[in-house]
Amino acid sequence: MSLDFQTLILTLSTFWSDQGCVILQPYDAEVGAGTFHPATTLKALGPKPWRAAYVQPSRRPADGRYGENPNRLYRHHQFQAILKPAPDDIQTLYLESLKHIGVDPTRHDIRFVEDDWESPTLGAAGLGWEVWIDGQEITQFTYFQQVGGIPCDPVPVEITYGLERLASILQGLENVYDLAWNSPTGNQPMTYGDVAFQMEKEFSAFSFEHLDVAMTLRHFEDAEKMANELIRNKLVLPAYEYCLKASHLFNLLDARGVVSVTERANYIGRVRAIARQCCELWMEENHG
Amino acid sequence: MAEWLLEILSEEIPARMQPGAQLQLKTLAETHLNNAGLGFEEIKTYVTPRRLVLVVQGLSLEIPEKSEEKKGPLVTAPQAAIEGFLKTNAIAREQCVVRPTPKGDGLFILKTIPAQQTYAALPEIALAILKGFSWPKSMRWGAQPTPWVRPIRGLLSLFEGKIVPFTYAGVTTSNTTYGHRFLAPGPFTVKDFKEYERELEKHFVMLEWDDRRHFIKKNVAELAEQSNLAPLNDDALLDEVAGLVEWPIALKGTMDARFMDLPREVITTPMRHHQRYFPLENTQGNLAAEFIIISNTKATDDGKTIVVGNERVLRARLADAEFFWKQDLKMPLVHFNEALKTRLFHQHLGSLFDKVQRLVDLSTRLAKTIGANASLVARAALLSKADLASQMVAEFPELQGIMGKYYAQHQGEPAEVAQALEEQYWPKGTDGHLPQAVPSLLLGLADRLDTLIGFFTIGATPTGSKDPYALRRAALGVISLCLAANFKFSIREALMWAYDAYPWADLPAPILKPKEEAVAQVWNFLLERFKFFLKDKQGSAYDHVEAVLSVAHDNPSFADLALRTKALDQLMGGEDGQNLLAAYKRAANILTIEEEKEKRPYTGDVREASLETPEEKQLFKELQDKAPKIEECIANGDFVQAVQSLAGLRPFVDQFFNKVVVNVEDAKVRETRLQLLALLRKTLHQVADFSKIEG
Repeated sequence: MSLDFQTLILTLSTFWSDQGCVILQPYDAEVGAGTFHPATTLKALGPKPWRAAYVQPSRRPADGRYGENPNRLYRHHQFQAILKPAPDDIQTLYLESLKHIGVDPTRHDIRFVEDDWESPTLGAAGLGWEVWIDGQEITQFTYFQQVGGIPCDPVPVEITYGLERLASILQGLENVYDLAWNSPTGNQPMTYGDVAFQMEKEFSAFSFEHLDVAMTLRHFEDAEKMANELIRNKLVLPAYEYCLKASHLFNLLDARGVVSVTERANYIGRVRAIARQCCELWMEENHG
Repeated sequence: MAEWLLEILSEEIPARMQPGAQLQLKTLAETHLNNAGLGFEEIKTYVTPRRLVLVVQGLSLEIPEKSEEKKGPLVTAPQAAIEGFLKTNAIAREQCVVRPTPKGDGLFILKTIPAQQTYAALPEIALAILKGFSWPKSMRWGAQPTPWVRPIRGLLSLFEGKIVPFTYAGVTTSNTTYGHRFLAPGPFTVKDFKEYERELEKHFVMLEWDDRRHFIKKNVAELAEQSNLAPLNDDALLDEVAGLVEWPIALKGTMDARFMDLPREVITTPMRHHQRYFPLENTQGNLAAEFIIISNTKATDDGKTIVVGNERVLRARLADAEFFWKQDLKMPLVHFNEALKTRLFHQHLGSLFDKVQRLVDLSTRLAKTIGANASLVARAALLSKADLASQMVAEFPELQGIMGKYYAQHQGEPAEVAQALEEQYWPKGTDGHLPQAVPSLLLGLADRLDTLIGFFTIGATPTGSKDPYALRRAALGVISLCLAANFKFSIREALMWAYDAYPWADLPAPILKPKEEAVAQVWNFLLERFKFFLKDKQGSAYDHVEAVLSVAHDNPSFADLALRTKALDQLMGGEDGQNLLAAYKRAANILTIEEEKEKRPYTGDVREASLETPEEKQLFKELQDKAPKIEECIANGDFVQAVQSLAGLRPFVDQFFNKVVVNVEDAKVRETRLQLLALLRKTLHQVADFSKIEG
């Protein structure tokens, strides 16, 4: 029997828990990807070993489709594992995790296709692959080389599963809203649509139609100011949180189409500057 | 004679880097074996997504004894120099020998490097090869600092069945390796290359890149043939897929019939670029619903699951594309121009919409210059960038221009207009297709001239390897288009128009070059690229192009310059040309010396009455006959004929130099002969400045 959405999460959590990962909760601020969670961005730096795994709801305002597109979502879910240093058998471990969730490698075509990852907002870059199952990208597999402009030593590996796509493959369904969120044979079966449709619809309307641009621009300025103030006070975690806020506000403005190409680079540069300072502070204070 | 086998087993190597890596490994192995003085018969290298393999056959079992000598200072050198030499080499004065050198007796160190077993020397050679390897992009992993393209997970190194012991990037050599990741996951050991190759085959790895490529090509064709279809030619895709699989299996998928109405490229782009499928077509050249997937595994259900999965992915992509297609068609193409107003061409050069307006202006002027239909060209220019704001191009940037064409066709634009929207971007590579229709040629030319003059005016010129705005490619485009169309108008004038089309006063650029300077810079840049272009396309030597350029009038067309250089290439390739060049140099040398001495130029003004010898008279007659003919030929663009006329001068020039002395006592005779040489120089310069030719 194929896994429903929440059992998929539970199974991956158990698997990575068994590999010594601490199982964390999603970061409780809006982020665009699991990488932005401080458990990845900041913890990837420095010599201290670290293993963690968590689900991160990830918001991409530009991908909002009012719940009408079967594949694109304002908010999707990533399952993220970060291991520092990357163990030598990490590819084998990863493939093992696929078997745990029911991907049978004797029936599927699993491939590692070159995809070097880069996050201009975080000043982060790494080398690795997209992992394909039968032509569908389901994981981003990256050996971090730098974060916040600082080289990673030792090198961590970041494994990011796209949970909706994975569930689609496992359940053999094409429309994300049809996915079984919990057991279809249980007491109260729920689909992905039951759980998430309203959010998709309302947040798409919010970001494309009702977002107050002037107010959001102000919020961006404020978040940047707050972050800088916190950096001066060497409060790295709160500072980083305001970096995340600035990043999300920028994403909202970008999705609204009010950021020109030049301004775009400028805004990204401003967020990156905060991220870089947070990472530097993190290292200075020997948190890594 | 022995064999050395080295396998570097790693995580998946990017497909695009594999052929280069295979070649580099071979070159490095050759270099380092030679450096070590180690003889061998043959080196072969192999690459798969997970392994890079070197096998050297016919290796000597030992490196023979070698003697080396090192030269030191002269025995008469200052004491400090001698002591320094002895100290650096950790040797006593008595251990040196004294030998004569051209400068006097010198100190020498003679060293004998004893013979060494190859087996003992190999670890160092292997490490030198690995350390010398450079990937286009490499990474660190775990806690060790050595870079490689992806983490190295195994090193197999065998010489005569024995493990060659060394450690690299924290990995120690063994006689063990792994086969296919899923079909035969366990490790196995081997003792030599023959066994290695055989075991790999058993463990589902096709070692040879060429074999995999050939196998894929054959299987795709065969599977297509079963449905009376054939794959589209796509060498780049074959290359890439050969680097994505160790055990290729071809499978056939089918897409939904409802997508068949979409434009062909809208279907094939996600297939090829995103999914690496092979699209198929029927005998009429129409795209088929079937396509071929190359999987990397032989699945237990004969690939049914894999096909279903891949079909689903394609369906999702095509459903997106279908949605964009329908959305984009809701609006006339010209309405997309609105969105171009907020899209920058460059922060100091205005928006894309500004560019479109300039293109309308410039391409209209160009059309009028050559008497083409200006309203068609202007219409094409107005719509030229509209598709960049379409949803389809936002999703598939590769489709720029192509979508413009389809949307234009859909709204009933004239065929030439639709065609120009696609072909404005041609040629796409150095050997890409060239447009033939005039609106396409003019729009493509206007676009590139606008780009070149814009960036040069604000000082954003290419430096070294940095060419962020692809101006070199734009320049090559200008040249190719002018040659393809045989345009004879002045590119310099066109650049002036392009300059005038920019509202410079309103642009915020920190640097603004004046018109003459910007135009001159672009023109020189074009000529520089033109030299490369001719070298590449017709094998012309740079000095030949220089020779032609330096006598061309101010506004030569690229078409004429190319023909003239080609004619010169032909002349200089033969004996006549070489002799003529020698004679020219002789004449020019004599003239230069005299002209400098007398501080006046010789212009070729020969007084016929003063000619004495038959050789002078004949040469004069020939030059007088030929000059107007050559001029006429050049005016008509018949450079081959012009050059043949020059070649015909050769016997007369030879005779002249054989029989006639130029610098004679009699001032009048001497003057006449010098003028005759000047006339020769002048005649040759009608075709090319021979002083620029290296001979």
